[in-house]
Amino acid sequence: MPTLTPERWQEISPFLDHALSLSEADRVLWLESFRAEKPELADLLQELLDEHRALTEKRFLEGSPIVNRDQPSLAGQNIGAYKLISPIGQGGMGSVWLAERSDGRFERRVAVKFLRFSVAAHGGAERFRREGRILGQLADPHIAELIDAGVTPNGEPYLVLEHVEGEPIDEYCDRRRLGVEARIRIFLDVLSAVARAHASLIVHRDLKPSNVLVRNDGQVKLLDFGIAKLLADDASAAPTTLLTQEDAGALTPQYAAPEQVTGGAITTATDVYALGVLLYLVLTGQHPAGAGAHSAAGLIKAIVETEPPQASEVVRSPDVHASAEKRSSTPERLSRELRGDLDTIVAKALKKKPADRYGSVTALANDLQRYLKHEPLSVRPDSIMYHAAKFVQRNRLGVALTAVALIAVIAGVTATLLQARAAREQRDFALRQLSRAEAINDLNNLVLSDAAPSGKPLTFDHLLEIAQGIVRKQHGTDENTRGELLISIGRQYATLEEYEKARQLFEEARSLSRYLPDRSTHALASCALGQTLSRGGDPSRAEQLYQEGIGELPDNSVMAIERVTCLMRGSEIASDSGSQQEALIRALAAEQLLQHAASHPDNLELNLMVLLAGDYAGTGQPGQADGIYRRAASRLEDLGRVRTQLAGSLFHNWGVMLLRVGRPLDAEKALHRSIDVSRDNESEDFVSPTTLGVYAEVLWELGRTEEAGNYAERAYWKGRKDGDGVATRLALIQRARIRRARGDLIGSGQMLSELDTLLHRTLPSGQVYFARLASELSLNARAVGDWLKALEWADKAVEIAEQAAKRRSASSLYEGRYLVARSTIKLHLDSVNEAIADASAALPLLQSVALPGSASSDVGRAQMALGRALSAEHKDDQARSAFRNASENLDQSLGPDNPESREARQLAGLSPQ
Amino acid sequence: MTNQPTLTSLIDAAEHGNRAAAETLFSTLYAELHRLSKRELARQGIPVSLGATTLLHQAYIEMAAQDGASFPDRARFMGYAARVMRGLIIDHARNRRAQKRGGHFEITSLSSEVEDAVDHHELIQISEALDELSQSDPVLSEVVDLKFFCGFTFAEIGSLKGISERTAQRQWEKARIYLHHKVRTNLEA
Repeated sequence: MPTLTPERWQEISPFLDHALSLSEADRVLWLESFRAEKPELADLLQELLDEHRALTEKRFLEGSPIVNRDQPSLAGQNIGAYKLISPIGQGGMGSVWLAERSDGRFERRVAVKFLRFSVAAHGGAERFRREGRILGQLADPHIAELIDAGVTPNGEPYLVLEHVEGEPIDEYCDRRRLGVEARIRIFLDVLSAVARAHASLIVHRDLKPSNVLVRNDGQVKLLDFGIAKLLADDASAAPTTLLTQEDAGALTPQYAAPEQVTGGAITTATDVYALGVLLYLVLTGQHPAGAGAHSAAGLIKAIVETEPPQASEVVRSPDVHASAEKRSSTPERLSRELRGDLDTIVAKALKKKPADRYGSVTALANDLQRYLKHEPLSVRPDSIMYHAAKFVQRNRLGVALTAVALIAVIAGVTATLLQARAAREQRDFALRQLSRAEAINDLNNLVLSDAAPSGKPLTFDHLLEIAQGIVRKQHGTDENTRGELLISIGRQYATLEEYEKARQLFEEARSLSRYLPDRSTHALASCALGQTLSRGGDPSRAEQLYQEGIGELPDNSVMAIERVTCLMRGSEIASDSGSQQEALIRALAAEQLLQHAASHPDNLELNLMVLLAGDYAGTGQPGQADGIYRRAASRLEDLGRVRTQLAGSLFHNWGVMLLRVGRPLDAEKALHRSIDVSRDNESEDFVSPTTLGVYAEVLWELGRTEEAGNYAERAYWKGRKDGDGVATRLALIQRARIRRARGDLIGSGQMLSELDTLLHRTLPSGQVYFARLASELSLNARAVGDWLKALEWADKAVEIAEQAAKRRSASSLYEGRYLVARSTIKLHLDSVNEAIADASAALPLLQSVALPGSASSDVGRAQMALGRALSAEHKDDQARSAFRNASENLDQSLGPDNPESREARQLAGLSPQ
Repeated sequence: MTNQPTLTSLIDAAEHGNRAAAETLFSTLYAELHRLSKRELARQGIPVSLGATTLLHQAYIEMAAQDGASFPDRARFMGYAARVMRGLIIDHARNRRAQKRGGHFEITSLSSEVEDAVDHHELIQISEALDELSQSDPVLSEVVDLKFFCGFTFAEIGSLKGISERTAQRQWEKARIYLHHKVRTNLEA
């Protein structure tokens, strides 16, 4: 026999590599040619390959090198009246030990089960003991007895149980090659035990093969009755689901009923479902969700949504030949046995809705008895109509789900990263991406399907919570993917302005990815976290995180998409801290990069467009911004994404910009669309109060006072409720204006004094909002005829706005507007020259902030003021020209039917008196 | 602490063939992993549930914090630490054989399949064969340390070593063949 010296190993190693990479068939062929070429190595190679087959079979090195058979720390210890002998298992709940009575009074051996959960969190040790005793009263020959329950001095809860030596029901039946009838007879014993427990109002909650043992003598024993309930906290009113439970390992999702996954009520029907799964498994050898491994997400989706294939169909598939053999049958014969009644019984037990299942375990048992006696069943088989009706019903729910559009964004953001990654050259990477794509797909399907069975639409928040739970529990997902998914979900929270939740997710993703060799996830998490902190008012830490993130991403094409994403967050951070110019630079850098990137994910590109447009608007380039908004809107339309959250923000931002450049008519259209996107039928719960407030302002500008009042009220109360300061102050201004328009000057004054308090509490003095306040106070003074007071406030408004513009913390818009207002007051006070001066000074300011080449209501109003002042000076030609200009601007920006437009037309002599 | 060589300098020296450094490195890591497992034992009470992978990650985080910026990257660290982890487990198995009971600490397997645990006699043989393999094919022996002794997945090993998951798996299969062959022929001899 050739021995494996280091030299020989070196020599044979490359051939072994090659042989292992071949398929079984190719390998045989290749070995033959190899033998002809290198006969001296061929024998050894053959031997090693044979060895490989043998070692694979015996699972060589697939176990654990660590023996936890006799943990010295526990063996020999006393737990209550019992002395631990040796461990007999380790499961999701904790470890299980064989034990005997320490006083030697009984020979009997017991099993001590330690439960891995905190008693304190579950109503205390006393409650645990009490419930344990209740379960202990459950006496049935087929239920393993619960002898005692207690808590160790270490605070660890444990149960003392009857020690059962047996094997799981499916293995027991398979090993003995029991036929269908024999299996059903054993199963009926299981049913009688569960029915007995149900009669005592105890639900098992965790029925699965490893809890349903059959002893050598054929006696069925059910383990762990009601223990799952000990783990659930009944004291809390909120139902926990498998996904939200702290220790999801405690329950086995494989055998969970839909209501256990979705947080519905756990009743005896829950056990009926689990028994259905068990019956399916015992009869077909397969889980209803199909063969093979499932991710947690895939499994839960199957539980909640997928109708399992009929038992009789499953056994005919070629990969389950073994099942028929184990039932001393052939696939055809087995299929025939199961078709009809057994299919019907299993399907009835496996209904998604608890109410559709067998009403009791006894009813299920009775039908199985009828089957054995060849009597007609109590239930009818599912009709095709039923299936069809169900399908439509489910899809209608899906359509009604308002959050669907939003959830798609999760997919969008992540898919973005994926597409980009796939462009990387390494094939390994692509493979990894594929599994990520599956993970994400899985997650989306699951999140979307979750609302269907319960029939009640879930809130977006709830969906995100579910998504988080799934991501955290998804096994087999690598840390990069998990990190990216968490970031995606975090971004959703950030867009919902739930910054605290977003922050937590980003932190989690960041620490998860801290040591990954692929730095991209860590970098993305840093940038995202930075942006969140920036919104939370920590600009310096935000900038630091951004720098850290962008620094981790090499400036090459492989990381282009990540850099784009990070630059976008950096742009937002800069914008938050008032560095509009830097914000624009970063956004432009992102645009540049994306243009040259290997892929251009739609969602990323659209997000960038909206960001870039905002930065252009913020740096006083509304023309550029308008063009980009227009293109982005039509792209969204082309892609059919007009009802997404992104569309909502686009139309909002665009609308705000249009309002600021004196285009209220266009702004109204954009904002209306924004509200429409976020509106859920008649409810405006999802519409941001800021959008409502801006919309009120637009309506006010258009002279639609009544509607403006309506929106201002809604914006105010919603803003107050959401703690949204921006919306609240915006709404207060509108409310003050509307009250003034209605002649309610006291009410208007109250609004302004509330605004005053709010501003002083939240904004630095000198902020342009103080100018807005002063301007409204001026208008109120005018309304009571106190023109001197009005002038005083107008002076103040102009001064604050001028300073703000000088500091570049606000555009010249407000300075221009308040100059126009002051011009009117001065005219009234007969300071005609000063009135002309103010209006003339306002004009270039307002022209500079208008859309280049477009009409502006602000310019129009400035021209009106100028015209009036000029008329007072009897400069009629100049006045007429100003009125004509005003009319042109107002016609286009407010519409020809607007009273202001009409007045301008009249004064310009363009329409009959 | 300042007089102590850093882990980085030890790894550097060890990589340049300095035997004394290699031994110090080994014993430093050994002491640290031992300390951590004892601490976890004390913290969690009984029964302990502490996976080797968790322990290594923990060790990395804590030692990196002590050593500061110059700390070796994770891949390099894990390479050495996995080897040390094997030593720890083998010593543990030897102890167990020697005294049957009363080991100092426990590292438990996260696997619920207790029956799958490898016999300690075989374990020691595997370790000896691994030492041999590390002479002629160190890449393969490291994969075994990471996979078998420390419980890393192929994906994790791939990303640590900068190779694909498939390559990691093939290296593992080769190493298994080698070890199986060695253990078998030793038994037959």
